Amino acid sequence: MNNRFEYPGDREQKSAARAKALEALLIEKGVITSSTVDTVLNFFDSKMGPFNGAKIVARAWVDPAFKERLVADTPGAIAELDLPEGMAGAEGEHMRAVANGPGVHNLIICTLCSCYPWPVLGLPPYWYKDPTFRSRAAREPRAVLKEFGLNIPNTVEVKVWDSSAQIRWFVVPERPAGTEGLSEAELERLVTPEAMMGVAVAKAA
Amino acid sequence: MKLQHYLGGLEGLGPVVFEKRVFVEKWEERIFGIHTAMMALSPQLPLPKTPSTFKTIWTWADLRKGAESLNPFDYFKFRYYEKWLGGISGYFIANGYITEAELEAKTAEYLADPSKPLPTGGDKAIDDRVVQYLVEGDSPKRDVVVEPEFAVGDNVLVKNVPSVEHTRLPGFLRNKAGVVETVYPGAYTYLCDTGPDGVGPAMPVYCVAFDPQVLWPNNTEPNFTLYADLYAAYVAAAPVAMSAAA
Repeated sequence: MNNRFEYPGDREQKSAARAKALEALLIEKGVITSSTVDTVLNFFDSKMGPFNGAKIVARAWVDPAFKERLVADTPGAIAELDLPEGMAGAEGEHMRAVANGPGVHNLIICTLCSCYPWPVLGLPPYWYKDPTFRSRAAREPRAVLKEFGLNIPNTVEVKVWDSSAQIRWFVVPERPAGTEGLSEAELERLVTPEAMMGVAVAKAA
Repeated sequence: MKLQHYLGGLEGLGPVVFEKRVFVEKWEERIFGIHTAMMALSPQLPLPKTPSTFKTIWTWADLRKGAESLNPFDYFKFRYYEKWLGGISGYFIANGYITEAELEAKTAEYLADPSKPLPTGGDKAIDDRVVQYLVEGDSPKRDVVVEPEFAVGDNVLVKNVPSVEHTRLPGFLRNKAGVVETVYPGAYTYLCDTGPDGVGPAMPVYCVAFDPQVLWPNNTEPNFTLYADLYAAYVAAAPVAMSAAA
């Protein structure tokens, strides 16, 4: 038997040193600057992230006409809101939203890689990039969702969207019951990346 | 064939991992930042020139080709950003920006002293271009006149195109019948030319609905529809008998 599935004990230290060595060499050789990587990371902390998607979904919850526009013309509806620049930027040039409803639950996957709508959701969590999730959700979405703690009965239609071309997808989850008195800002806090990809539903706090 | 092109529907993989973090180790952020900078500085983009010495093309397609060329056991063995680190370091070595020896020597330095600081310097125009790329993106949509062959509701059959290095056709859809759900307006390029596989130039893109019972007979779930966005190069007319039966 070989050692194919054994990992060396210094796996993370070695990767950390190699990543830092690569960054150092690229700075020395003038490929990037010493602030390039931090510039990218800061952009995702402040401009592109799930905080934008939460605002979009909260607006859809309080404004049904906006929700209709969001599903019919996703970029146009997003452009109506006061969000950071770049909402049609990298990995969001062409986005499409699908809305959950009483008889339908949507799930977004990418079986070939990890396509994800950066401007509205930022970067994909590990579960989304996991080959096991990507493989299984295409054939047995309810079984997968159950492992995420979400039971979708057979009476609800499951729609799974595989992002194999250049469209980036997200889900407008249903507004949870018992949130009638909440402000839009309070509603935003109930919207998670998992709900906007369809492996969870939004819940009242 | 590459297993990475056929992941959808693969069985026997065990439970999903519900890890909500984007990065599980601090170093993963750095390789993500490097990749994003490479995409932004890639010379085919219509962005302002900078003093960056990066002169070769790097897009998502290059990253994906690397992941798809891996031994499939390694693809499952290594974490997402471990694969990025391997692919991106290999690219810089293969294209002559750095040597393997330089990288090994520098890695040894940081292994011995992980707190040793990074070098400083660089022209701000480089970082400005990276931000401009993030803000403006790189739309594959082209304003060319196209006549989509199919309309919403048409029965179609996914082609079994001869993919080699890279494809955007999920393997489990090959030779399967579906129904057009959306004809996206306009035409879309792909990041590179995939040769006989068929994508690259501007062409229509369809969203096609598939009945999972057709994809995996008696081995899937009820009341479930699978949709995939497919470049026109992957979509053919369904044989007449098939359309009549549908």
